[in-house]
Amino acid sequence: MFLDDEIAESRTRQNEARWGMYLALAALAACIVMILGLMTQASAQTASARPEQMAGYVRPNDMGTGALLFPSKEPGYFVEAPRLATDVQIDVNGPIMRTRVTQRFQNPSKGWVEGTYVFPLPDDSAVDTLKMQIGDRFIEGQIKPRQAAKEIYEQAKAEGKKAALLEQQRPNLFTNQVANIGPGETVVVQIEYQSGVRQSNDAFTFRFPMVVAPRYNPQPVVQTVDLDSRTGYAVSDPVPDRQKIEPPVLDPRENARINPVTLTINLKAGFPIGEVTSAYHEIETTTLDQLTRKITLKAASVPADRDFELSWKAVEGKSPYAGLFREPVGGKTYLLSFVPPPVTATETDKPVRREVVFVIDNSGSMAGPSMEQAKESLALAISRLKPEDRFNVIRFDDTMTVHLPDLVEATPDKREDAIAFVRGLTADGGTEMLPALEAALRTQGPVASGALRQVVFLTDGAIGNEGQLFQEIQSNRGDARVFTVGIGSAPNSHFMTKAAEYGRGTFTLIGSESQVAARMGELFTKLESPAMTDISATFEGAASGDITPNPMPDLYRGEPVVLTAELDGTSPEGKLRIVGKAGDQPWRVEMDIAKAATGEGIAKLWARRKIDDLEASASAIADPATLDRQIETVALAHHLVSRLTSLVAVDATPSRPAGENLTETDVPLNLPAGWDFGKVFGEKSDATGPDATGEVDEREASAESQTKLAMVTADRMLAAPTARAASLIAEANNQVNLPQTATEADKQILIGLTLLAFALVAGSTFVFWRVQIAALVIAGVRRHGR
Amino acid sequence: MAADDDLPGPRPGFLARLSAIETIVVAIIALIALAGLMLIGKGFYMKAKAEVSQVLLKKSFEAQLHGEASGKPWPWADFETTAEIMAPRINRSAIVLQGASGQALAFGPAWLSNTPLPGDEGTSVIAAHRDTHFRWLKDVSSGDLLVLTRKDGRRFLFRAGEGRVARWDESGINASASGRNLALATCWPFDAIEPGPMRYIVTAELVGEQHPVPLTTGSVSK
Repeated sequence: MFLDDEIAESRTRQNEARWGMYLALAALAACIVMILGLMTQASAQTASARPEQMAGYVRPNDMGTGALLFPSKEPGYFVEAPRLATDVQIDVNGPIMRTRVTQRFQNPSKGWVEGTYVFPLPDDSAVDTLKMQIGDRFIEGQIKPRQAAKEIYEQAKAEGKKAALLEQQRPNLFTNQVANIGPGETVVVQIEYQSGVRQSNDAFTFRFPMVVAPRYNPQPVVQTVDLDSRTGYAVSDPVPDRQKIEPPVLDPRENARINPVTLTINLKAGFPIGEVTSAYHEIETTTLDQLTRKITLKAASVPADRDFELSWKAVEGKSPYAGLFREPVGGKTYLLSFVPPPVTATETDKPVRREVVFVIDNSGSMAGPSMEQAKESLALAISRLKPEDRFNVIRFDDTMTVHLPDLVEATPDKREDAIAFVRGLTADGGTEMLPALEAALRTQGPVASGALRQVVFLTDGAIGNEGQLFQEIQSNRGDARVFTVGIGSAPNSHFMTKAAEYGRGTFTLIGSESQVAARMGELFTKLESPAMTDISATFEGAASGDITPNPMPDLYRGEPVVLTAELDGTSPEGKLRIVGKAGDQPWRVEMDIAKAATGEGIAKLWARRKIDDLEASASAIADPATLDRQIETVALAHHLVSRLTSLVAVDATPSRPAGENLTETDVPLNLPAGWDFGKVFGEKSDATGPDATGEVDEREASAESQTKLAMVTADRMLAAPTARAASLIAEANNQVNLPQTATEADKQILIGLTLLAFALVAGSTFVFWRVQIAALVIAGVRRHGR
Repeated sequence: MAADDDLPGPRPGFLARLSAIETIVVAIIALIALAGLMLIGKGFYMKAKAEVSQVLLKKSFEAQLHGEASGKPWPWADFETTAEIMAPRINRSAIVLQGASGQALAFGPAWLSNTPLPGDEGTSVIAAHRDTHFRWLKDVSSGDLLVLTRKDGRRFLFRAGEGRVARWDESGINASASGRNLALATCWPFDAIEPGPMRYIVTAELVGEQHPVPLTTGSVSK
């Protein structure tokens, strides 16, 4: 009895000990499993981040304003040439503006270099003029087909001549290669472009990019441009640690002194001007007459970290209702018209009821970060729906699932349910987009009256049957609007832009996780506040005109209808009629062409838009060569830089040999007629300038800073002893990024083997240990039994 | 004696005699073993996929050379076959796909579509996994001939240069450089298990085009 108790007790103790042991073992095993899980997770994410950006080094993508870049000693990076002066002249003439930017740079090194002048411009800019002064040579760009221009430039470069080649990399980014810049030589670049004034509600605005470089700029105002893969530049994400990038020598005040910017705006609004404001800069406004203002920057107050923005309004009650301008060029008349939609339509606060079909691509090509971005974007979009909206979700790879049987009201429950469905998706399989598109366009039932049907398509567009898809959108869209959201670093932008155009929606590009919120936000604004739909324009009683844009896009709150057109003859007559729909209320306006006021630069704007339209119609024109020819014809006729045409300039005589340093005083002042470079030679014109008083000290200081900056830049530059070597170096810097080329296979096998080995050891230990314990227990029991 | 039942003898089965806790321990060990097996399986699956798909791709590519197929090796594939690359000296070959998405790279070497086609003016880049299709890239030595057959039937001979190592975003490869060049890239170091930022690049220069155009791939077997 007594002993029995003792044994029972000792057994309990043993049991407790065993419990403890088992628990510890189990915990250990769990830990190991979790750690392994974490390891696989972490390694599944691809590749390393970019190396930290070094102070003073830039990439073409980083540039917020015009800058001359020289190849640096760091492969893939460039250094900015010291900018000696910048002069900007903007002539606003009614709804059109012409901008002329003149910049002076210097090659601070002791070698020959090929520079790349990079300049981002507003999307609708029509670039038509390039003038350069390199050292003591003046050259002016001629428009040529792109390939021909490239050949001319390469040849001149090889022959050691001064040459420049201005190419369009993307519709909003241009580069200008400048060959054979000698040691210490000065380069003056002058470009001119035409663009439209933006009108929103009753304010007219434009922006001029003045950000010197992102490194001065903790919160970038200008979004850096994602370059096309075709150009060979990488598509870059905004540098995450911008704040940490130290400016090499300059703070903005210093910069303003050594990089003087002069800005002159001749504002001819075409109506009595009321208030003129600049959001970020102090300006001085001179009133010439009721309709005209001259605007300049207040002296020495040029923050280099902001875009220049100017907005103006009409005198109260004199706001123009609509405008029609014309320009006769080469026997044809070009029209520009802007009409704001009726106020009643824009100011109704009745929210639009929406019916949204979300389509998400979860095919194998989306695997990795793309899928995460797509899921996040879609979840965000679903959570933004209002209870009165109706929606559905479709996912596809080579199979397809329509999540809900029909469009349902977006109640919180349904939204949660759909978000859970989206979050559970994984990327696998092929891409069969057509069935999903059909399901989205055809099988979702009729559109409820007064509601707006929207199809939001999230994909990387890795497909081959574009034509079929466009066909489907065109013929079965009905009243739906198709919005495409491009996911990942290299989505098929061509497909998605066009799909959105056929679908009369917009294309949103999301390149990285950090862009999801901002870009989707822009899309939501468009999805949620359409003001005017089904807009079209026709001519009545006039020779048929070529109207751009075609088709007319939907308008959003506060935007006017803006269109350009080409008409035969120099004095056409008749009426321009614009019709549209505000909600379900029809709207119609007519304008007499003969009464149009004359304007300048309309032809170029029309050509620029015509090229955009042609690009958009790519799939309708069977043969890409035909399309290219059409674009080339338009661009050549209007002297425009486009995807297929470039400006090329070659100096007829070879450069002087190296070693002869040009100093500023050597730069000849007798400029060719019509060339207005004077303003960037600030030192010379200072004496007559408005701020000539007490400038001596400033100028000395400025000269000192300039030398300092020049030395720093020269240090970093990769200058070549000869012009030929310079071109080789420039070539080497235009490089391809390589993909990740390691699989997880080896690692997984290794981890698997480790796990197996661990299991084996644990198993045998367990068996061995159990046998021992058993023996112990048996022995104990025996002892007791005796 | 009850305890005598535990003694060796005819057993009712090892598992049945375990206590609840012991069962848990055994289960955990079994799970770890299973996880290990699954990982090994997955690893080998990847490798098998890479090998097997090359056979299918080869078929599809041959059909393409005869002007038949669309270049999609199977209907739901996200990519097309573009070329075949051979290294005669070390007796290796692979079918090259278009587009270097992770998906395509699992099946074969990929031609980066932002570079010119091999044999065209400029530098064409082909990348593949170091542990599958380009396992042999380290064996390509300077002076080796590389034979590249394009889907349009043209066949180019390249002479390999020295291999070099560079970061993925500092490759120094310029797609539009003058001359007709080919760059083969894979991950470096070759025997590392972690994916890393370094790449091994072999550049090759065009030495000529082979005529007449043969209609078979004439590939060498492994």
